[in-house]
Amino acid sequence: MTRQDIEKEVRAIFLREFEVENPEPDVNLREAYGFDSIDAIELLLEIEKFLGSELTQAEKKKAMDIRTLNQIIDYIERLAEKRQATAETK
Amino acid sequence: MGITILLWGYFLFGYLFILFFLFIPCYVRLKSSDAVLQKLFHIHLKCFFSLVEFLAPGIKFMIPEDVRRLRSSIIVCNHISYLDPILLVSLFPRQTTIVKNTFFSVPIFSWFLRKAGYVPSAPSEMYGPAMINHLEGIKRHLAAGGNLFVFPEGTRSHSGKLAPFNKGVFSIARYCNTGLKLVFIRHTNKLFRPGTFSFQTCEKNTIALELIASLTPDYSADQFSISTVADQAKLIFERKIAEDRRREDAGS
Repeated sequence: MTRQDIEKEVRAIFLREFEVENPEPDVNLREAYGFDSIDAIELLLEIEKFLGSELTQAEKKKAMDIRTLNQIIDYIERLAEKRQATAETK
Repeated sequence: MGITILLWGYFLFGYLFILFFLFIPCYVRLKSSDAVLQKLFHIHLKCFFSLVEFLAPGIKFMIPEDVRRLRSSIIVCNHISYLDPILLVSLFPRQTTIVKNTFFSVPIFSWFLRKAGYVPSAPSEMYGPAMINHLEGIKRHLAAGGNLFVFPEGTRSHSGKLAPFNKGVFSIARYCNTGLKLVFIRHTNKLFRPGTFSFQTCEKNTIALELIASLTPDYSADQFSISTVADQAKLIFERKIAEDRRREDAGS
Protein backbone atom coordinates (compact mmCIF):
# COMPACT_ATOMS: atom_id res chain seq x y z
CA MET A 1 0.00 0.00 0.00
CA THR A 2 1.63 3.26 -1.14
CA ARG A 3 1.17 6.75 0.28
CA GLN A 4 -0.71 7.63 -2.93
CA ASP A 5 -3.16 4.75 -2.35
CA ILE A 6 -3.78 5.98 1.18
CA GLU A 7 -4.28 9.57 0.07
CA LYS A 8 -6.72 8.49 -2.66
CA GLU A 9 -8.73 6.49 -0.13
CA VAL A 10 -8.77 9.28 2.48
CA ARG A 11 -9.96 11.79 -0.11
CA ALA A 12 -12.69 9.34 -1.17
CA ILE A 13 -13.78 8.99 2.48
CA PHE A 14 -13.92 12.77 2.90
CA LEU A 15 -16.07 13.13 -0.18
CA ARG A 16 -18.41 10.24 0.68
CA GLU A 17 -18.77 10.75 4.45
CA PHE A 18 -18.20 14.47 4.99
CA GLU A 19 -19.03 15.93 1.58
CA VAL A 20 -15.64 17.63 1.49
CA GLU A 21 -14.12 17.66 -1.97
CA ASN A 22 -10.33 17.74 -2.23
CA PRO A 23 -9.42 19.01 1.26
CA GLU A 24 -6.20 20.99 1.45
CA PRO A 25 -3.39 18.79 2.79
CA ASP A 26 -2.18 21.07 5.57
CA VAL A 27 -5.18 23.08 6.71
CA ASN A 28 -6.77 22.50 10.09
CA LEU A 29 -9.78 20.32 9.23
CA ARG A 30 -11.75 21.55 12.22
CA GLU A 31 -11.38 25.20 11.34
CA ALA A 32 -11.66 24.85 7.55
CA TYR A 33 -14.41 22.24 7.23
CA GLY A 34 -16.04 22.05 10.66
CA PHE A 35 -14.65 18.55 11.16
CA ASP A 36 -15.66 17.53 14.70
CA SER A 37 -14.92 14.62 17.00
CA ILE A 38 -17.93 12.64 15.76
CA ASP A 39 -16.48 13.00 12.25
CA ALA A 40 -13.16 11.82 13.66
CA ILE A 41 -14.89 8.68 14.98
CA GLU A 42 -16.41 8.09 11.56
CA LEU A 43 -13.00 8.49 9.98
CA LEU A 44 -11.50 6.00 12.45
CA LEU A 45 -14.13 3.41 11.55
CA GLU A 46 -13.45 3.98 7.85
CA ILE A 47 -9.73 3.56 8.49
CA GLU A 48 -10.42 0.25 10.24
CA LYS A 49 -12.39 -0.85 7.18
CA PHE A 50 -9.63 0.27 4.84
CA LEU A 51 -6.90 -1.52 6.84
CA GLY A 52 -9.07 -4.57 7.37
CA SER A 53 -8.28 -4.70 11.09
CA GLU A 54 -9.51 -3.13 14.30
CA LEU A 55 -7.57 -0.34 15.93
CA THR A 56 -6.52 -0.60 19.55
CA GLN A 57 -7.80 1.94 22.09
CA ALA A 58 -4.35 3.55 22.23
CA GLU A 59 -4.28 3.89 18.44
CA LYS A 60 -7.75 5.42 18.46
CA LYS A 61 -6.81 7.92 21.17
CA LYS A 62 -3.75 8.94 19.19
CA ALA A 63 -5.95 9.65 16.16
CA MET A 64 -8.15 12.06 18.12
CA ASP A 65 -5.38 14.68 18.15
CA ILE A 66 -4.92 14.70 14.37
CA ARG A 67 -5.67 18.04 12.72
CA THR A 68 -4.76 17.88 9.01
CA LEU A 69 -5.15 15.60 6.01
CA ASN A 70 -1.40 14.99 5.84
CA GLN A 71 -1.39 13.94 9.49
CA ILE A 72 -4.17 11.46 8.71
CA ILE A 73 -2.16 9.99 5.86
CA ASP A 74 0.97 9.76 8.08
CA TYR A 75 -1.11 8.07 10.75
CA ILE A 76 -2.52 5.45 8.36
CA GLU A 77 0.88 4.89 6.81
CA ARG A 78 2.36 4.13 10.24
CA LEU A 79 -0.52 1.79 11.09
CA ALA A 80 -0.17 -0.04 7.78
CA GLU A 81 3.60 -0.45 8.31
CA LYS A 82 3.04 -1.71 11.84
CA ARG A 83 0.49 -4.25 10.66
CA GLN A 84 2.71 -5.39 7.81
CA ALA A 85 5.66 -5.84 10.20
CA THR A 86 3.47 -7.85 12.57
CA ALA A 87 2.24 -10.04 9.69
CA GLU A 88 5.79 -10.69 8.51
CA THR A 89 7.02 -11.77 11.94
CA LYS A 90 4.20 -14.32 12.22
CA MET B 1 -51.33 24.23 41.14
CA GLY B 2 -51.29 22.03 44.27
CA ILE B 3 -50.49 18.97 42.19
CA THR B 4 -47.64 20.79 40.45
CA ILE B 5 -46.10 21.72 43.82
CA LEU B 6 -46.46 18.14 45.06
CA LEU B 7 -44.84 16.74 41.92
CA TRP B 8 -41.98 19.22 41.95
CA GLY B 9 -41.50 18.61 45.67
CA TYR B 10 -41.31 14.87 45.21
CA PHE B 11 -39.03 15.24 42.18
CA LEU B 12 -36.48 17.55 43.85
CA PHE B 13 -36.49 16.17 47.38
CA GLY B 14 -36.41 12.66 45.96
CA TYR B 15 -32.99 13.40 44.50
CA LEU B 16 -31.71 14.74 47.83
CA PHE B 17 -33.09 11.71 49.65
CA ILE B 18 -31.40 9.42 47.14
CA LEU B 19 -28.08 11.17 47.66
CA PHE B 20 -27.99 11.12 51.44
CA PHE B 21 -29.90 8.00 52.37
CA LEU B 22 -29.46 5.61 49.47
CA PHE B 23 -26.55 6.49 47.21
CA ILE B 24 -23.78 7.03 49.76
CA PRO B 25 -24.48 3.74 51.64
CA CYS B 26 -24.79 1.82 48.34
CA TYR B 27 -21.64 3.43 46.95
CA VAL B 28 -19.64 2.57 50.05
CA ARG B 29 -20.83 -1.04 49.80
CA LEU B 30 -20.67 -1.65 46.04
CA LYS B 31 -17.99 0.82 44.88
CA SER B 32 -19.68 1.16 41.52
CA SER B 33 -21.45 4.47 41.21
CA ASP B 34 -22.96 4.38 37.72
CA ALA B 35 -25.03 1.19 37.97
CA VAL B 36 -26.25 2.09 41.48
CA LEU B 37 -27.26 5.61 40.55
CA GLN B 38 -28.96 4.55 37.32
CA LYS B 39 -31.02 2.05 39.28
CA LEU B 40 -31.88 4.64 41.97
CA PHE B 41 -32.86 7.24 39.35
CA HIS B 42 -34.98 4.58 37.67
CA ILE B 43 -36.84 3.74 40.89
CA HIS B 44 -37.25 7.40 41.85
CA LEU B 45 -38.70 8.36 38.47
CA LYS B 46 -40.87 5.26 38.27
CA CYS B 47 -42.41 6.41 41.56
CA PHE B 48 -42.69 9.94 40.14
CA PHE B 49 -44.82 8.76 37.21
CA SER B 50 -46.89 6.51 39.50
CA LEU B 51 -47.54 9.64 41.58
CA VAL B 52 -48.57 11.52 38.41
CA GLU B 53 -51.07 8.76 37.60
CA PHE B 54 -52.34 8.72 41.17
CA LEU B 55 -52.76 12.50 41.49
CA ALA B 56 -54.08 13.03 37.97
CA PRO B 57 -56.40 10.18 37.01
CA GLY B 58 -56.92 11.75 33.58
CA ILE B 59 -53.29 11.06 32.67
CA LYS B 60 -52.62 7.59 31.26
CA PHE B 61 -49.41 5.98 30.11
CA MET B 62 -49.35 3.56 27.21
CA ILE B 63 -45.98 1.84 27.18
CA PRO B 64 -46.02 -1.40 25.17
CA GLU B 65 -44.03 -4.47 26.25
CA ASP B 66 -41.67 -4.29 23.25
CA VAL B 67 -40.49 -0.90 24.48
CA ARG B 68 -40.26 -1.94 28.15
CA ARG B 69 -38.23 -5.01 27.23
CA LEU B 70 -35.52 -3.12 25.29
CA ARG B 71 -32.04 -3.95 26.61
CA SER B 72 -28.51 -3.40 25.28
CA SER B 73 -30.04 -1.03 22.76
CA ILE B 74 -29.38 2.37 21.32
CA ILE B 75 -32.76 4.07 21.42
CA VAL B 76 -33.44 7.03 19.14
CA CYS B 77 -36.40 9.23 20.04
CA ASN B 78 -38.18 12.39 18.97
CA HIS B 79 -38.01 15.11 21.64
CA ILE B 80 -41.06 17.14 22.61
CA SER B 81 -40.77 17.78 26.35
CA TYR B 82 -38.34 17.79 29.27
CA LEU B 83 -40.35 14.80 30.50
CA ASP B 84 -39.02 12.60 27.66
CA PRO B 85 -35.66 11.71 29.20
CA ILE B 86 -37.07 11.17 32.68
CA LEU B 87 -39.85 8.97 31.27
CA LEU B 88 -37.20 6.82 29.57
CA VAL B 89 -35.15 6.64 32.78
CA SER B 90 -38.29 5.45 34.59
CA LEU B 91 -38.60 2.56 32.11
CA PHE B 92 -35.07 1.15 32.07
CA PRO B 93 -33.08 0.14 35.16
CA ARG B 94 -29.76 0.60 33.32
CA GLN B 95 -29.73 3.63 31.10
CA THR B 96 -27.44 6.38 29.96
CA THR B 97 -27.78 9.32 27.63
CA ILE B 98 -25.99 12.33 26.22
CA VAL B 99 -26.93 15.29 28.37
CA LYS B 100 -26.95 18.96 27.37
CA ASN B 101 -23.98 20.74 28.81
CA THR B 102 -26.12 23.30 30.67
CA PHE B 103 -27.26 20.55 33.07
CA PHE B 104 -23.65 19.87 33.96
CA SER B 105 -23.35 23.38 35.37
CA VAL B 106 -26.13 22.82 37.95
CA PRO B 107 -24.55 22.19 41.39
CA ILE B 108 -25.22 18.75 42.96
CA PHE B 109 -27.24 17.63 39.93
CA SER B 110 -24.13 17.74 37.72
CA TRP B 111 -22.24 15.63 40.26
CA PHE B 112 -25.09 13.10 40.16
CA LEU B 113 -25.06 13.05 36.37
CA ARG B 114 -21.33 12.39 36.18
CA LYS B 115 -21.48 9.68 38.84
CA ALA B 116 -24.37 8.05 36.95
CA GLY B 117 -22.18 7.78 33.86
CA TYR B 118 -24.17 10.21 31.70
CA VAL B 119 -22.21 11.72 28.86
CA PRO B 120 -21.91 15.51 28.55
CA SER B 121 -22.42 16.97 25.10
CA ALA B 122 -19.78 19.69 25.64
CA PRO B 123 -17.23 19.88 22.83
CA SER B 124 -14.40 19.68 25.39
CA GLU B 125 -15.80 16.35 26.64
CA MET B 126 -16.42 15.00 23.17
CA TYR B 127 -13.05 15.89 21.76
CA GLY B 128 -9.71 14.15 21.84
CA PRO B 129 -9.02 10.98 23.84
CA ALA B 130 -11.92 11.73 26.22
CA MET B 131 -14.27 10.91 23.36
CA ILE B 132 -12.80 7.42 23.02
CA ASN B 133 -13.16 6.90 26.79
CA HIS B 134 -16.84 7.87 26.60
CA LEU B 135 -17.45 5.58 23.62
CA GLU B 136 -15.71 2.65 25.27
CA GLY B 137 -17.82 3.32 28.37
CA ILE B 138 -20.99 3.22 26.26
CA LYS B 139 -19.84 -0.04 24.68
CA ARG B 140 -19.38 -1.62 28.14
CA HIS B 141 -22.72 -0.22 29.29
CA LEU B 142 -24.53 -1.80 26.31
CA ALA B 143 -22.71 -5.10 26.82
CA ALA B 144 -23.92 -5.11 30.45
CA GLY B 145 -27.54 -4.87 29.27
CA GLY B 146 -27.94 -1.11 29.55
CA ASN B 147 -29.61 1.18 27.05
CA LEU B 148 -28.40 4.42 25.56
CA PHE B 149 -31.21 6.76 24.61
CA VAL B 150 -30.58 9.80 22.46
CA PHE B 151 -32.58 12.63 20.97
CA PRO B 152 -30.83 13.31 17.66
CA GLU B 153 -32.65 16.63 17.25
CA GLY B 154 -30.60 17.86 20.20
CA THR B 155 -33.39 20.02 21.53
CA ARG B 156 -37.13 19.91 22.10
CA SER B 157 -39.41 20.59 19.20
CA HIS B 158 -41.87 23.39 19.96
CA SER B 159 -43.76 23.06 16.67
CA GLY B 160 -44.13 19.28 16.47
CA LYS B 161 -41.92 19.27 13.37
CA LEU B 162 -38.64 17.41 13.47
CA ALA B 163 -35.45 19.46 13.68
CA PRO B 164 -32.46 18.30 11.61
CA PHE B 165 -30.88 15.13 13.03
CA ASN B 166 -27.42 15.28 14.51
CA LYS B 167 -25.61 12.21 13.18
CA GLY B 168 -23.60 11.64 16.39
CA VAL B 169 -25.83 8.85 17.71
CA PHE B 170 -25.55 7.00 14.42
CA SER B 171 -21.77 7.18 14.61
CA ILE B 172 -21.92 5.91 18.19
CA ALA B 173 -24.10 2.99 17.04
CA ARG B 174 -21.57 2.16 14.36
CA TYR B 175 -18.68 2.41 16.83
CA CYS B 176 -20.50 0.01 19.16
CA ASN B 177 -21.57 -2.17 16.20
CA THR B 178 -25.16 -1.99 17.41
CA GLY B 179 -28.49 -1.47 15.67
CA LEU B 180 -30.92 1.32 16.47
CA LYS B 181 -34.39 1.20 17.97
CA LEU B 182 -36.60 4.10 16.94
CA VAL B 183 -39.10 4.98 19.66
CA PHE B 184 -41.79 7.55 19.02
CA ILE B 185 -42.94 9.67 21.97
CA ARG B 186 -46.42 11.20 22.06
CA HIS B 187 -48.07 13.82 24.24
CA THR B 188 -45.48 14.34 26.99
CA ASN B 189 -45.63 17.98 25.85
CA LYS B 190 -49.30 18.11 26.82
CA LEU B 191 -48.47 17.20 30.43
CA PHE B 192 -45.41 19.45 30.71
CA ARG B 193 -45.43 22.11 28.02
CA PRO B 194 -42.19 23.68 26.84
CA GLY B 195 -41.77 27.08 28.47
CA THR B 196 -43.96 26.36 31.51
CA PHE B 197 -43.28 25.10 35.03
CA SER B 198 -46.65 23.62 35.78
CA PHE B 199 -47.99 20.16 35.02
CA GLN B 200 -51.20 20.14 32.99
CA THR B 201 -52.93 17.54 35.15
CA CYS B 202 -56.53 18.65 34.58
CA GLU B 203 -56.57 17.71 30.89
CA LYS B 204 -57.20 14.15 29.80
CA ASN B 205 -54.05 12.88 28.15
CA THR B 206 -52.54 9.58 27.10
CA ILE B 207 -48.77 9.61 26.96
CA ALA B 208 -47.62 6.88 24.61
CA LEU B 209 -44.38 5.33 23.45
CA GLU B 210 -44.16 3.21 20.33
CA LEU B 211 -41.33 1.20 18.84
CA ILE B 212 -41.68 2.29 15.22
CA ALA B 213 -38.61 0.65 13.66
CA SER B 214 -35.47 -1.37 14.33
CA LEU B 215 -32.58 -0.45 12.08
CA THR B 216 -29.72 -2.89 11.65
CA PRO B 217 -27.33 -1.19 9.24
CA ASP B 218 -24.65 -3.25 7.52
CA TYR B 219 -21.67 -1.30 8.82
CA SER B 220 -19.20 -3.39 6.81
CA ALA B 221 -20.84 -2.70 3.43
CA ASP B 222 -18.60 -0.87 0.96
CA GLN B 223 -21.08 1.90 0.32
CA PHE B 224 -22.23 2.26 3.92
CA SER B 225 -22.85 5.87 4.88
CA ILE B 226 -23.87 7.34 8.25
CA SER B 227 -25.79 10.12 6.56
CA THR B 228 -27.97 7.56 4.77
CA VAL B 229 -28.87 5.87 8.09
CA ALA B 230 -29.58 9.25 9.73
CA ASP B 231 -31.80 10.26 6.77
CA GLN B 232 -33.60 6.91 6.89
CA ALA B 233 -34.32 7.32 10.63
CA LYS B 234 -35.55 10.89 10.15
CA LEU B 235 -37.83 9.82 7.31
CA ILE B 236 -39.40 7.12 9.50
CA PHE B 237 -40.12 9.68 12.24
CA GLU B 238 -41.50 12.18 9.72
CA ARG B 239 -43.88 9.58 8.31
CA LYS B 240 -45.02 8.73 11.83
CA ILE B 241 -45.66 12.38 12.68
CA ALA B 242 -47.60 12.88 9.41
CA GLU B 243 -49.63 9.72 10.07
CA ASP B 244 -50.42 10.91 13.60
CA ARG B 245 -51.45 14.33 12.38
CA ARG B 246 -53.77 12.81 9.77
CA ARG B 247 -55.33 10.60 12.46
CA GLU B 248 -55.81 13.55 14.85
CA ASP B 249 -57.31 15.71 12.07
CA ALA B 250 -59.71 12.92 11.16
CA GLY B 251 -60.71 12.51 14.82
CA SER B 252 -61.36 16.19 15.49
